[in-house]
Amino acid sequence: MIIDLQPSPAAAREEEPPTSPGLWPGARAASWAGAVPFLLFIGLLLVIPAISVVVGAFETDSGGFTLANLRIATEGPYLSSFIASFELSIASTVLAVILGMLAALAIAGTGGRSRALLQSASSVLANTGGVPLAFAFIATLGNFGVVTEVLSSLGFDPYRHGFSLYSVLGLTIVYQYFLVPLMVLIMIGPIRTFKRSWVEAATSLGASRLRFWASVGLPILAPAILSGAVVIFTDAFAAYATAEALTSGTIPLVPIQIGSLVSGNVAAGQGNLGNALGLGMIIVIAAAATIYLASSRRSARWLR
Amino acid sequence: MATVAATGLDEVGVGRPFRAAVLVLVAGFFLIPVLASARYSLLGTHGHITLSAYRSLFADPNFWASLWLSFKIAVGSMLLTASLVVPTSIWVNSRSPRLARAMDAISLLPLGVPSVVVVLGFLGAYHGLLSILLSSPLILVPIYAMLALPYSYRTFDTAVRALQVGPLTDAAHSLGAGWIATTLHVLLPNLRVGLLGSLILSGAYALGEFVVASLLSFNTFPVYIVQIGLTAAAEAVAVSLVALLIAFLPLSVITLAGRGGSKGVV
Repeated sequence: MIIDLQPSPAAAREEEPPTSPGLWPGARAASWAGAVPFLLFIGLLLVIPAISVVVGAFETDSGGFTLANLRIATEGPYLSSFIASFELSIASTVLAVILGMLAALAIAGTGGRSRALLQSASSVLANTGGVPLAFAFIATLGNFGVVTEVLSSLGFDPYRHGFSLYSVLGLTIVYQYFLVPLMVLIMIGPIRTFKRSWVEAATSLGASRLRFWASVGLPILAPAILSGAVVIFTDAFAAYATAEALTSGTIPLVPIQIGSLVSGNVAAGQGNLGNALGLGMIIVIAAAATIYLASSRRSARWLR
Repeated sequence: MATVAATGLDEVGVGRPFRAAVLVLVAGFFLIPVLASARYSLLGTHGHITLSAYRSLFADPNFWASLWLSFKIAVGSMLLTASLVVPTSIWVNSRSPRLARAMDAISLLPLGVPSVVVVLGFLGAYHGLLSILLSSPLILVPIYAMLALPYSYRTFDTAVRALQVGPLTDAAHSLGAGWIATTLHVLLPNLRVGLLGSLILSGAYALGEFVVASLLSFNTFPVYIVQIGLTAAAEAVAVSLVALLIAFLPLSVITLAGRGGSKGVV
C-alpha cells in the first residue's frame, strides 16, 4: 500500500511549462495520447472487472434487477463475516498505530546512518506478508511453535489460556509484522518536522512531557496519525493470503468468503452473491480513501 | 545526535533509554519469527537437528516446477511493466505536470479493489472468452503487472520527476538527438535505479502473489507452499523461510540503492 498521495516535487514546479514536445513522436497529438495504452490496460484489467462486480451485485442469476444479493450479503453469516473483518482490521489498526508511533519516535531520534538503515528495514518489512509470513508464525506461536514451547516450559502455555494463533487475536499479532513498519514509514516524516522551537516554547512555559504531548505533539501529529490509521485499516481489511494460509478459511473474513464463492461453493440463485460482497469491500475501501484524502490534505497544511 | 537536538525530542521523553527499550522490543518482534522458523525447519518433530525438511523439499519435483512457473510469470510481469511504465511516465512528464499527476493518481487505483474482487470481476466480465485465456497461467502476467502498478509505476515516476525531463530533452534535442537517442542515451541511463526498483517491485509481487493464482487454480510457488503446509509443516516452514529471505534480498537492494517507492516510501 502506497501511502504518499501528496504530490511529489513535480507539484512545486507546476508552473514550469512542458518543454520540447516537438521531439517526441506524435508531437501534434493531444498531450494525453501517449497515456492511452496505459489507460487501456487499466481499463481492461481493472475498471471493466470492477464495473462487472458493481453491476453484478444488483443482478439476479438471469440478469434482472434485484436487491436480494445485497440483502443476503448483509445478514446472517455474511454480516458476521463483515463484523469479523472489521474486528480484525480495527484491532490491527489500533495496535499498529500505537506500536508504529512508538517505533517511529524511537527511530526518528536515532542518528543519521542507523536511522537510514532502520527506515530501509521498515520499508522491506512493510512489503512482506503473504503465505511465508503465516508459516513463520506457525513456527513461532503455533501449537508447536518455538515461543509457545518456551512459554509452556516456563509454566504458561498460551493455548491453555484461551490464546490461539488461528483466531482474530492471532491474526492481529501476525499482521503487526507488516503493519507496524508501514506505520513507521508513514509517521517518520511528520515526526521529523518537529521543530526544536516548539519543544522549547512549551517547556519554557512550564509544560511537562505529558503536557507537551497532550497539548502540542499529538494535536500536530493527529492528521498524520489519522491518515496512517486509514491506510493500515485498508491494508488489513483487504489482506487475504496470510489469513487463508494460517486458518484455511476457518475465520470467515469477507475476502475469504468471496474466495470460497469464486471457487465454486455457490448455492443456487446466489450466483451474484460474491459480487454483492465485493461491492461491500469496494465501498468500505472507497470510504477509507475519502477519509485519507481529507486528512492528508490537513496534515500537509500543518507540517509545512 | 544532531537530529535529536534539531527536533528537541530528547526533552519530551524520547531520550536514549526510551529509544533503546523500544528498538530492542521491536527488533525482537521482527527477528524471533525468522529465528524460530530456522529452528523449526531444522528440528521439526525429530528432536534433533536434521536437514531432512530441506532435503525432501529439494527432491520434490513440484517444488521446482512451481518455482519455475512463478519465475517465468515474474519475468513476464517485469517485461510488461517496463513496456507500460517507461513510455507512459516519460511521455506524461515531458508533456504536462498536470497529466503526470493525474496518471500518478490513476496508478493507485488497483489499491481500491482487493485482488480477490479483481478475480471475481474478471470471471464475470470475460466469462465468454475466458475459458481459453484462463487455462493458461499466462493470464497471470497482465493481472500481476496491473496489481503491482501502484508500486512499480510510482517508483519509476518518482525517478522521472526528479530528473527534470524537460531541460534534458531540450539539451539533447539542441545537440541533434532524436527521440530514440534521447531515451536510450540520455534518459534511461539516468533512470536506471528507478527502473530497477520498479521492476524488482513488480517481480517480487508476482513471485509472492497467492490469491489470484490460487483462485484460478495455478500451481505457483506460494500455492505450492500452502499445499505442502497441509501435510508437512517442517517443509512448509523451511520453504517459507527461504521465500522470506529471497524477498528480503532484492527489496533491501532497492531500498538501500535508491530509496525506491516501495510500500509507503515517501
